[in-house]
Parts: sequence; structure tokens; C-alpha cells
Amino acid sequence: MLIIGEKINASIPSVGKAIADRDELFLTALAKDQATAGADFIDVNAGDGRSTDSSPVEIMKWLVDIVQNATDKPLCLDSDDPAVLEAALQQYRGERVMINSVNAEPEKLEPVGRIAGERKADLVALVMKEGGVPRLVEERMEAADTIMEYLGRLNVSEEHVFFDPLVLPISVDTKQGITTLKTIEKLKERYSKAKTVMGLSNISYGLPARAIVNRSFFLMAAAFGLDAAILNPLDARLMSLVKTADLLTDKDPRCKKFTNAYRKGLLVQ
Amino acid sequence: MSEEILTLLKENVIQGRITEEDEGIDENLSGPGAVELTEAALEQNIPVQDIVTKGLTAGMDIVGQRFSAKEYYVPDMLASAEAVSAAMDILKPHLEKSQVETKGTFAIATVRGDIHDIGKNIVATLIKGAGYEVVDLGIDVPTDKIIEYVRDKKPAFLGLSALLTTTMLFMGEVIEALKDAGLRDTVRVFVGGAAVSKEFAAEIGADAYCADGFEAVRILDSVA
Repeated sequence: MLIIGEKINASIPSVGKAIADRDELFLTALAKDQATAGADFIDVNAGDGRSTDSSPVEIMKWLVDIVQNATDKPLCLDSDDPAVLEAALQQYRGERVMINSVNAEPEKLEPVGRIAGERKADLVALVMKEGGVPRLVEERMEAADTIMEYLGRLNVSEEHVFFDPLVLPISVDTKQGITTLKTIEKLKERYSKAKTVMGLSNISYGLPARAIVNRSFFLMAAAFGLDAAILNPLDARLMSLVKTADLLTDKDPRCKKFTNAYRKGLLVQ
Repeated sequence: MSEEILTLLKENVIQGRITEEDEGIDENLSGPGAVELTEAALEQNIPVQDIVTKGLTAGMDIVGQRFSAKEYYVPDMLASAEAVSAAMDILKPHLEKSQVETKGTFAIATVRGDIHDIGKNIVATLIKGAGYEVVDLGIDVPTDKIIEYVRDKKPAFLGLSALLTTTMLFMGEVIEALKDAGLRDTVRVFVGGAAVSKEFAAEIGADAYCADGFEAVRILDSVA
């Protein structure tokens, strides 16, 4: 399971404040801590710069610099603005990089897909079109087809595509858990070289005891073939579950990662 | 007898039972649900106004309190609101006949560029449950379409939703466009959504910021 550390995101109040205050120490530590905790990528979302005196492009470049100076882990550049993504890529020295995200809407798929193709970046693609979040598996697969058609033309190879199957709150529609899982399964079936990725916390919106819902859903998604997750790597219990998921889905030869994690005292039961 | 039926209706709203098939939220109720009880109340010629206030709204008030106290969660609140909504559908022709004034029309939209609909739908359901006429304009609604609707249909209230820091700016655009069209004084504008704050609402000149659907109902009831 590939882990994308989600903490450097301006929509988290403490992080938004650190960005507004230009608190380099706080942000550097947050990047390092996530890397140490086992994140494979560090997501970087600088927000829109509203709380600072900078443009969205300037604030993103500043934040990319802080994170790339703090860790050698590849970055996951997170914005829905193609200009911000382009600037962030220019600022970034690393080789491997992920872009988060596009969907099936041509306006953004076209420019961001082109950038990703030229840079050979991994690209997160949400399986939705304009007109709202599709509630059905088949509608989501149609969006995936549109995305692959475009990306094929823009020289983004299937291996670089990370499909997000969409996670909607179970509290509003109890079918949504199964819908997400089946979408993962279908995506893996139809695009076997592409990866799947999702965030966890949306599933439990509006419910009590959210952590147990998130963790359970994560394990179910792993069983359905989830390849990557955007989560908080500083949550030791969740990271223990990641190792357990790898163990149980034949992604941990001879159980080495699991037993080593245990020996190092990293497994929280 | 009429008191008894309205108390039962209120209890079934609190338990989120739309029909007799449904289970209660935290009590095992059987027998008629909100739909059957509303029909029975009409048969007994209980005034429509009483059915709404003593049965439905009274029940929803308790649901709101339980939600604020974190005893109830989103699915509970939605079940109750749907029970009220189903009852209102039955009462609607009678309300029109008995010339009970409705509390006014609340038009709601997710602004342009934003396709999030879950929060908007929850708020719409709750406001409908509180007895307002709700018109859902949809998601990613262009500003000029909202203006056109306000001009043609003259709703008393307009609710704007946005989840993203990028799209919430279009709430301000809608308010400016209302001013330009000379319509700003005809409608009260409510704003809400994950990215929105009280400060932001004040900054763009909205009439009210609503943290959630129940707050929207509280503010609506205080100004309607």
C-alpha cells in the first residue's frame, strides 16, 4: 500500500495558520514526521493564499521549497489550478512526482494531463464528470473511460494513473460503501496497470465513532485491490493497519515488513 | 383523541419513522408511522395547522436539540426530516385549500464551479421539514441563472452553498449581481458550506451564515 501523507494541507486549521504565519519550522517538522512515520509521498496543498499576502502560485512555490528541503520523499502536488501545478512542478527538484488531481472535465484534464505527460508524473484522477458526483458504479466507470481516452492522447501511460473511486458519506446513503468498493474492483479489472487511491475520512462523515468506520473501510478497500491511500501517517494505529493490510493481501513477502514492524515496536494493536 | 394522535405523530418524527414499516431510531416502535398518522389526523378533521405545528414541527424541534447535543447524528436527522417531508407532501393540497400561509419559499443552490451536493441536500431536507417551500436549483449553478430565478419567482430566501475556498468566492459574485440587477432587497441571502465562515459571510454582505441545517432553520424562523 502506497501511503500519501495528508497533513500538509491548508484546509487543516493549524496548518493553514502555519502557512499564513510563514512558520517554516512547523511545516518542516510536519514533513519530516510524516516521512519518518512511513509516508511514501508527502501531499502539498498550499490553499489559495487568501490568508497571506501572496498569490496561490507564490504560496505554493514557497511551500514546495520547504517540504523538499525537509525530506527526500517525493511530493504529491495538490491543487485544482493548472497554473499552480505548473509553477509547483518548476519549483520541484525531485524526479518522481504525483499530481493531485484531475477528473473527467476536459477544461482541467487537458492542461494538467499535458503537464503530467511531459513530466512523466503520477496523476490522481477522480472518476467524475461535470454535473456532480456519480452515485452509480457504471457512471464512475464512464468517467474513467473518458479520462483514459484523454490521457492516452496526452502521453500519460496507464501505469501513471491513480484512479480515485470516490468516497461518499455512508450516513447520507448507505449504498455508498459498496459502490466505492465495487468501483475499485471494476477499475482494476478494466485498467489493470492503473492504480487506485482514496482518502478515508469522507466515508464516516456525520457518524459517531468515526475512527472505527474509517479503519474498517480501509481494510475492506485493501481487499478489493486498493493500491494507495491518502491518510494521516502520524496515526500509529492506522499505520499498523496498513502493514496488516499488506500482510493479508500478499504484498508482504515472507511477512517481513510485518514482523519487522512488530520487532521495532511499531505495531499498535 | 386529536391530542393523542398528534403526540404520536411527534414521537414518530423524533424516531424517524416514515411509515409503519420503519424501525425507530432508539426506541422500538411499531404501529403507524408519520405517513399513516398524518392521514389518520386528516380523516379526523384535525386542523392542518395543528398537524404541522403540534406534530411535525414539535418533533423536529426535539430532533434539532438532540443533534446539537450529539445524541443524534446525520442519518438520524435525515430520517426524521424525511418523515416530516413525506407528511408535508400529504398535507400540501390541504394547506393550499385551508389557505394556511406557507412560511415562504427558500431557493437553494451550490454556486458555479462547485459540484458538491450532499450538504446542500441535507439543508434543503431540513428546511422543507420545517415547513418552507424549498426549490432546489441544483449544483454548479451559474450566477446569471440564480439571478434569473430570483427575478422571475421572487423567493423570500436564497441559500448558497460552497465547499471550496475557490468557489465560495462566487457567493460574493451572486450577491453583487443581485445588487446590479436591483434585486438585493427582495431576497434574504443565507450562505453555508465547509469553507465558509461567519466573517466571510459578513465580508460578502450575506444576510446570514449558517453552520448547519438546524441553524438555517432557527435563523429562518426568527426572520420569517
